[in-house]
Amino acid sequence: MARDMDRRNFLKAAGAATATTTMTAGCVGDFVGSGGSGTLTYGRGAPSATLDPQASTSGEVAKVTNQVYDKLMGFEPGGSALVESLATDFTIEGTTATIQLREDATFHNGDEFTAEDFIATYRRFVDPEYEYHFEDRSGYGPYLLGAVEDVSAPDDYTVEFSIAKKYAPFLANLGAFAMAVLPKSEIESGTDFSSEMIGTSAFQFESADQGTGTIRLSAYDDYYGEGPHVEEVTFEVIGENGTRASSLNAGELDIIDGLSPQTITQVEDGEGEIKRRGGINVGYLAMNMATFEPFRNKKVRQAMNYAIDTEELASTVYQGIATPASQPIPDLVTGYNEELDPYPYDPDQAQTLLEEAGYGDGFEFELATFQNPRAYNPSPGEAAETVRSYLGEVGITANLEQKTWETYLNYTAQGSHDACFLGWMTDNGDPDNFYYALLHPQVESDPDQDYVEWSTEGINKTNRAAWANNEFMELVEQGQSTYETSERQSLYREAGAIFHEECPWVPLVHTEEVRGIGPDVSNFTVGVIGGPFLNRVELE
Amino acid sequence: MSTETASTTHEDRGFLDRLLASPFLSDLLSNRLAILGLSLILLITLMGVLTRLAVFVGVLDFGTILDTQFAQPRKHPPCGNPTITGWLGSVGSCQHPFGTDAQRRDVFLRTMYGAWLALKYGTVTVAASTVLGVGLGTLAAYYGGWLDNVVMRTMDVLLSFPSLLLALAVVAIFGTGLWKAVIALTLVYTPRFARVVRGAALKVLEDEYVDATVALGARDWRVIVRHVLPNSLAPITVQSTLNFGLAVIDLAALSFLGFGATAGTPSWGWMLTKGVENGLINGLWWMSFFPGLFLALTVLGFNLLGDGMRDALDPRMQDAVD
Amino acid sequence: MISTRYVIKRLVLLIPVLFGVATLVFSILHLSPGNPATVIATQQADAAEIQRIEERLGLDDPIWVQYVRFMVEVVQFDLGESWVHNKGEPVTDILRWKFPITLQLAVLGQIAGIVFGIPIGIISAVKQDTITDHISRIGALTGISVPIFWSGPLIILLFAVHLDWFPTNGLLSNGPLPKITGVLLIDSIIKGDIVMFVDAAWHLFLPSMVIGIYSMALISRMMRSSMLEVVRQDYIRTARAKGQGEKITLLKHGLRNALIPVVTVIGIQFGSLLGGAVLTETVFNIRGIGMLLVDAITDGDYPVVQGIVLLFAVVFTMVNLFVDLTYTYLDPRIEQ
Repeated sequence: MARDMDRRNFLKAAGAATATTTMTAGCVGDFVGSGGSGTLTYGRGAPSATLDPQASTSGEVAKVTNQVYDKLMGFEPGGSALVESLATDFTIEGTTATIQLREDATFHNGDEFTAEDFIATYRRFVDPEYEYHFEDRSGYGPYLLGAVEDVSAPDDYTVEFSIAKKYAPFLANLGAFAMAVLPKSEIESGTDFSSEMIGTSAFQFESADQGTGTIRLSAYDDYYGEGPHVEEVTFEVIGENGTRASSLNAGELDIIDGLSPQTITQVEDGEGEIKRRGGINVGYLAMNMATFEPFRNKKVRQAMNYAIDTEELASTVYQGIATPASQPIPDLVTGYNEELDPYPYDPDQAQTLLEEAGYGDGFEFELATFQNPRAYNPSPGEAAETVRSYLGEVGITANLEQKTWETYLNYTAQGSHDACFLGWMTDNGDPDNFYYALLHPQVESDPDQDYVEWSTEGINKTNRAAWANNEFMELVEQGQSTYETSERQSLYREAGAIFHEECPWVPLVHTEEVRGIGPDVSNFTVGVIGGPFLNRVELE
Repeated sequence: MSTETASTTHEDRGFLDRLLASPFLSDLLSNRLAILGLSLILLITLMGVLTRLAVFVGVLDFGTILDTQFAQPRKHPPCGNPTITGWLGSVGSCQHPFGTDAQRRDVFLRTMYGAWLALKYGTVTVAASTVLGVGLGTLAAYYGGWLDNVVMRTMDVLLSFPSLLLALAVVAIFGTGLWKAVIALTLVYTPRFARVVRGAALKVLEDEYVDATVALGARDWRVIVRHVLPNSLAPITVQSTLNFGLAVIDLAALSFLGFGATAGTPSWGWMLTKGVENGLINGLWWMSFFPGLFLALTVLGFNLLGDGMRDALDPRMQDAVD
Repeated sequence: MISTRYVIKRLVLLIPVLFGVATLVFSILHLSPGNPATVIATQQADAAEIQRIEERLGLDDPIWVQYVRFMVEVVQFDLGESWVHNKGEPVTDILRWKFPITLQLAVLGQIAGIVFGIPIGIISAVKQDTITDHISRIGALTGISVPIFWSGPLIILLFAVHLDWFPTNGLLSNGPLPKITGVLLIDSIIKGDIVMFVDAAWHLFLPSMVIGIYSMALISRMMRSSMLEVVRQDYIRTARAKGQGEKITLLKHGLRNALIPVVTVIGIQFGSLLGGAVLTETVFNIRGIGMLLVDAITDGDYPVVQGIVLLFAVVFTMVNLFVDLTYTYLDPRIEQ
């Protein structure tokens, strides 16, 4: 059941910026494929809806395309730092980004990789003038590349971008899975990328089975980077969490993801081993200030935070695979403010605050949640029931409203909810992708009120709290147009502190990325972004 | 009841008298399986009504059924004492006879309350589809002509879908929730009633006495109320009984697929589904086993009774009931 | 004998029903809340993006234009394109490979139901009102009453997890499904792959049994009552008077006549088995048409929902018609 990645929301034609600083890449030593042996079997909960990285925003799609395709940028396995991939060197200065490409990469069809391939990929994604423009492209096209005004290739191994204004997350955007580089020759010969994959990465495509969802890849011997150390990779789909875990224990699978808290014990008790790492995500309860009047009162929002025991929630509903959140971003992300602590569980304090706010007798509101588990909320129904129980203790009546996922997204995107559960996962690991995407109204707002009406033209609908704190907005805008990391850090730390004081959300938890691996698997790193890194994995 | 009794006693006595005089009831009561079914239904009804009543008068705090019980053990097996191994553990300290769930709530209490919800939503579904079906069926039979055609062809269309599938299609339109599932199932069941009633009504209308009444100048609704409905009551009752079981199981099925009960509803379907999710495969069986058991018993009860009723039914009417 | 005129009459009568079915299916998309374009475009798409999609799908046309277009396309077996799968994969292509999976499951379940249901029904009838009869009757009713989303997981727990006799889910231990006919057991025979055949049969056993129990319950009930009905009839008494043994009487005369209504039940119920496959597939994680439907509703992929509902309705209607015609063939008195 776990369809655990949600990138649908992470799609906002981004604003951009102007100015000076420079970022340069580190260098990672190259390895040559060691020609290992065996078939690595990866079990997951849902199939890939497509094989075309430009057609989807789904994390399930990314798991597979990341094995076959490379992006210009990569992410450090297990972290969120940008590393080289098809790019060997990158600089961004003002509104120009220059990227040096590697000269030893080849596509699985034998073509050599050059800047022309990237340009064709780019045009297929976002250029309607291009003959081979992909009409059914996902919303990631305009989102990731919206800032770009022009792209050119001064030579075979250099790409130059000119962007509308200074925009710090730009390079990280190039590392998103949807920015996978396709070969120009195949684009222009009309290859159907939804059923075939031809990339430059460690594995090449063999077959995909619609009926079972099974996808088979084989090692690409001419891969320029590390690995692969296995002959084949197979992605298997097993929807039921418990079954997936027992298949791992039975040795039918080597790696599984989407482990519900309940199945972790199952793997630990069996043959398998659990690998976990703090994930770059957040689960939260957003209080809709525009729709529900009592939430406009800061004391009420703080009372909500005091009333809910997120630690208990993390250990029961999330069964210990999550840590209580104090701010939108987890500690792996630039600008994390370690001075902030999650609100302690203090129903008395909550009661006092409610009395001060004039709601001593409590109030009643609709708490919306969704039906199908997400990685940041594996049991949405139970989380909602527990939260309702906590709020009941301080006299607040929460009426639960549960909907199926797609309906739910539409419902809450219109601001119909009083409060709602939601979460966020990122594809670029940048703080902007939390603070600007989730909490900035992205329109001008009245400085005298800290929320925006849902009817406002062009409003950021992902800001489910309808929060519009001008001081916060300014910091986030600055963060977006600042290239200097230490400067950005302090800007986002401050933004985090305002968030903590004003609490438009009850930030619930950061969920850990958990994988189960079989006894034969070694050198497996849990990828928090840009993974899974199967090229590194060895089988004994 | 035989054909003769049906037509001669019809005007003189009330429905109850006629029912008591007919062999229907005695046939039914001599059917041991039907009695077993009836007892099951009574037991479940008693369970549900008593629990609801206890909540209503305040003997039982509704919060203990609905809210997370922070002081109680989590996913605790039935009666078991965790320090003693074995299935039953220490039976002596049986605080939670059916164990507790992931929210530390007592599965026994929730299962008891679930009986109330099953009966409530089941009754509404069956009542709504009966009323709609009876209305449409009698109108179609009585007026015939184009009205009959329009109504029955529409029913045919609805009957062209496997029932669960039609319910899912309706859910796709209206969205998730128990009441919406009730609407969906009402739509699914109505055609069956319409067919049964239309068939039964046509048989009644064929009988001469109705013609005589009409000739005497009886108004439409009188003919329907006095003649058509009372004589269609038996097949309607049988159909309702059989459909009650179906409604209970289908509501739970929609919940299982994620389109019925939602968080905060202690319905059997929801409990069962969450129980399976919360580790049935790891051996934590009690969270789903008990709600499922009572669900099955309820459905069995209605099926046993409905079956017995059908056997006891006037053979003339038997064909009409599916 | 069954007259051609009767068959044609029945087929003609089918047209308005199928027309109504298609209209109802059309309304699924148009009655559902939310803008279809936002489902495709994602939440944050701007107005221009949504308009682009609406134009492409023709959603900006007047509703009657859309209706006529839908009808014309349906007649040509064009069910539109999925909004989720491969962004525009034709729905018919998706159903092409999903339907055989579900069909295979329903057929296997039906076979299990017939193989066990008919003998049980006969025995029950022969031993009417004995303990055997009571047990098999209660058994049959229990089979119908127990929800498969309850018994299924319990059966998995017992036979697949604890005893480890069967796999817990899926269709094959490894490897892709061969796509020849789409029916796994047949495909593996065509390929001559005995290992795959056994593996598939091993995977299909539990889910087929779960469906089979339900089907068996219905068939044995019908068989019993139909058998009793026939036994009561005169010619059986006549046959008995001629001095044949009771068993042979029953088998020779009773069975053939008693089977007629059972055939009807088998046919009618086959449609509901297909519908019930939604539950079985979800329990056993078999990615057939049932799971596809659940996913499509969740994801708001309405063309797929429409396609599945339409397909099932047509199959269901056709099976019913076929059953009716068979019935008429076996017992021509009905043809009036």
